[in-house]
Amino acid sequence: MIRIEDLSVAFEDTEAVKHVSLELIDGEVLGVVGESGSGKSVTALTLMGLVADSAQITSGRVLFDDVVLREAGKPCDKALYRKYQGARMSMVFQEPMTSLNPTQRVGKQVEEMLRLHTDLRGEEMKRKVLEAFRSVGLREVEKVYSCYPHQLSGGMRQRVMIAMAVILHPRLIVADEPTTALDVTIQNQIIGLLREINQKQNNAMLFITHDLNLARRLCNRIAVMKDGEVVELGETEDIFQNPGEAYTKRLIEAVPSRMKRRRNIAAVRGMGEPAGSGLAGKLPTGRESEAEAGAGQERCAELERCTGQERCAELERCTGQERCAELERCTGQDGRNPILQVRNLSVYYRDGNNSLFSRREKQCVVSGADFELYSGESLGLVGESGCGKTSLSKAILGINKEVEGEITHTTLRPQMIFQDPYSSLNPSKTIGWLLMEPLRARAALDKAYAMTREDMEAAAYDMLHKVGMEDKYFHRKPSQLSGGQRQRVSIGQALITRPGMIVADEPVSALDVTIQAQIMELMQKLQQEMHLSYLFISHDINVVYQMCDRIMVMKEGRIIECGETEAIFHNPREKYTKLLLGNS
Amino acid sequence: MKKSGTGKWNKYLTAGLLMTGLALLLGIVGIFWTPYSTTAMSAAEKFDAPSLLHIFGTDNFGRDIFSRVMEGMGTTVVISTLVVLFSGSAGILLGALTGYFGGVLDEIVMRVTDAVNGFPSILLTLVIISILSSGRQNVILSLGIVFVPSYVRIVRSEFIRLRDADYIRRARLMGVGRMRILFVHILPNIFSVFWVSVMIGFNNAILAESGMSYLGIGVQPPDASLGKMLSDAQGYLRTAPWYALAPGLSIVWVVLGFALFSEGIRRRNERVS
Repeated sequence: MIRIEDLSVAFEDTEAVKHVSLELIDGEVLGVVGESGSGKSVTALTLMGLVADSAQITSGRVLFDDVVLREAGKPCDKALYRKYQGARMSMVFQEPMTSLNPTQRVGKQVEEMLRLHTDLRGEEMKRKVLEAFRSVGLREVEKVYSCYPHQLSGGMRQRVMIAMAVILHPRLIVADEPTTALDVTIQNQIIGLLREINQKQNNAMLFITHDLNLARRLCNRIAVMKDGEVVELGETEDIFQNPGEAYTKRLIEAVPSRMKRRRNIAAVRGMGEPAGSGLAGKLPTGRESEAEAGAGQERCAELERCTGQERCAELERCTGQERCAELERCTGQDGRNPILQVRNLSVYYRDGNNSLFSRREKQCVVSGADFELYSGESLGLVGESGCGKTSLSKAILGINKEVEGEITHTTLRPQMIFQDPYSSLNPSKTIGWLLMEPLRARAALDKAYAMTREDMEAAAYDMLHKVGMEDKYFHRKPSQLSGGQRQRVSIGQALITRPGMIVADEPVSALDVTIQAQIMELMQKLQQEMHLSYLFISHDINVVYQMCDRIMVMKEGRIIECGETEAIFHNPREKYTKLLLGNS
Repeated sequence: MKKSGTGKWNKYLTAGLLMTGLALLLGIVGIFWTPYSTTAMSAAEKFDAPSLLHIFGTDNFGRDIFSRVMEGMGTTVVISTLVVLFSGSAGILLGALTGYFGGVLDEIVMRVTDAVNGFPSILLTLVIISILSSGRQNVILSLGIVFVPSYVRIVRSEFIRLRDADYIRRARLMGVGRMRILFVHILPNIFSVFWVSVMIGFNNAILAESGMSYLGIGVQPPDASLGKMLSDAQGYLRTAPWYALAPGLSIVWVVLGFALFSEGIRRRNERVS
């Protein structure tokens, strides 16, 4: 039995873990769930004796059976830990690429465990490693044995890591976000594997994750951590059914899930119109288009109601170019006009380095994409990493020029929201500068959009409010903001020129669940207010379910399925879609 | 400035600031005023040991060494600053263009800088000086050319690193002009790296300038120069050791001060980020 008693860990003057007590019995899987900065990883690392030397144990102790591994006030006994690490307790890390040594064959790296902790040598050792590889579901084990990490896929690397962790049948396995870096289908396999190992070897497992759904599928008990404290601890289903703490409740609610009802987006959108028109007049630019869009929407509804002759009469009545444009917008599918049309699009990727003499190979990453995005709609694009989602979006935005086929969009400059809020804002500028830059750039391109400095500042402040931030952030730099705040600024920067169409590339994947929910809400709110169309790219099918009206599923560069969200979720046609749905 | 954000005292920065500050002060004052004339000779005061009257002593012509060190320091500082300015701005321009755009221009510029790097720098300056003849401007020009490649490399690699950053992609999507992306969006982000290399470059320039004067291809007499003073003092090492010590220690002082200063800056940046 492994016990953590009243453990507190501090770094300099900040306490990362506060009075945490946990118990693990053999054969049990204990999930530790919390958002980043909640202290879950520090707890695990302290348990494993891997925490940085600068960390101080200010109270409590760590017990393995009845042996005290770590105690408050005493330095880490590395010699004692070495006897336990690997042999009796082992760890699976999040990032399989960096936790394997890139210069050594993976077989040798796993053998290292045996060399250190057993008397096995030579052939015997290799046999044992191959056996471990087979038990974690690797095929062609001989070949894997002599591979370098970079020759293996992410899933295979994680399997190797797990093989390394379980080869000595340790009593305790600590898995720190072992599936976060993996695709959904692979994620599911790894979870299955961990469960299987747990049942077969009857070892205790500490499973650390930020994903409540995952914890639910694997763990017997769950500990919810917040700000270094365990706020709730109990049987998994108990916690899900009757969360005792408000924080747990919020956490569960924030998780995007198909179990929850989706908002009726069409209805909400209709109601959103007055808000959109109300905004007009505040800003010197974009006013006309916004008002037009609002009027257009109303007119559309009107037109839909009309049928046959009536519609003709309505058409006849219209005069002038403006009206015609409006009508054009209103006819077409569902009474909405496509803001983006993609016809038989293939995207290529030029291989090879940026050298003068090397010939570059052309590789097809997306083939035959064919779809349209209607005004005011959210179109989800789902697929695993490497399926061509990002290449497709880049082609649409005009970043990738190696394309064949047709892309037509009616917006001037579609903008993009990036995944990583830490790299998508220029660190040397202030938030205000960043928000005004799109306006400056537009003015430089087209004199008709020239604005005075005061107008630009007003527009930037207005956008800051729209994305739910206060005035005081105007003069701050990105480094002074949290991830969620940065993503808000990022959204504001994309929207300030009122582009109409936004490509959002995994905009919430790098965020904690509660922040994720806030950002999704913000995006939906802005969509109504500003009549935006989103092309929403994500690997998380639940997020897409909550955000999107229609969904496209992509696999190996092809769009294999496309349809209304509900239809796809309830009656997926393709086997692959079913697989994606079943896995989350 | 001396106290960093975390409240820890940055000793490197303080020491560096004090040392370079003193050296720069002496040098700049030395350009306009010195306690004694730097050229007035006095047979009576030949090889006076350091005293309150002549704190660094006098040389073989009875000239006040302190005054000459001041003037030499001024010359050195001015030349080094101009060299760094010249090579640094050329480095930024070439590095930005080659790093961001790549392609044929990149190949050509990089091969040329490789070629320049292939020669020992002192040999190269010798060649340039022998073509242009010696003199202040030509010293600056030749050292400037020799130092350009190191800046090009640093700036280029930073631009390559940042040209595909998300925020630069986004700037491109907004339709920001190329030159604005280069010099408004990217450039400020490389300053922390560039600044350190400028500091090191400044030190190298001081050493190179002194080396050239020592070899007699730098500034010409009667202008005082630390390197020239060193080479003059060689013959009197036994009889008047202070003659060599004064300019030698001055060079060490300013170079060490700058090294500490740049280390202090680096640590401060690290702590901030």
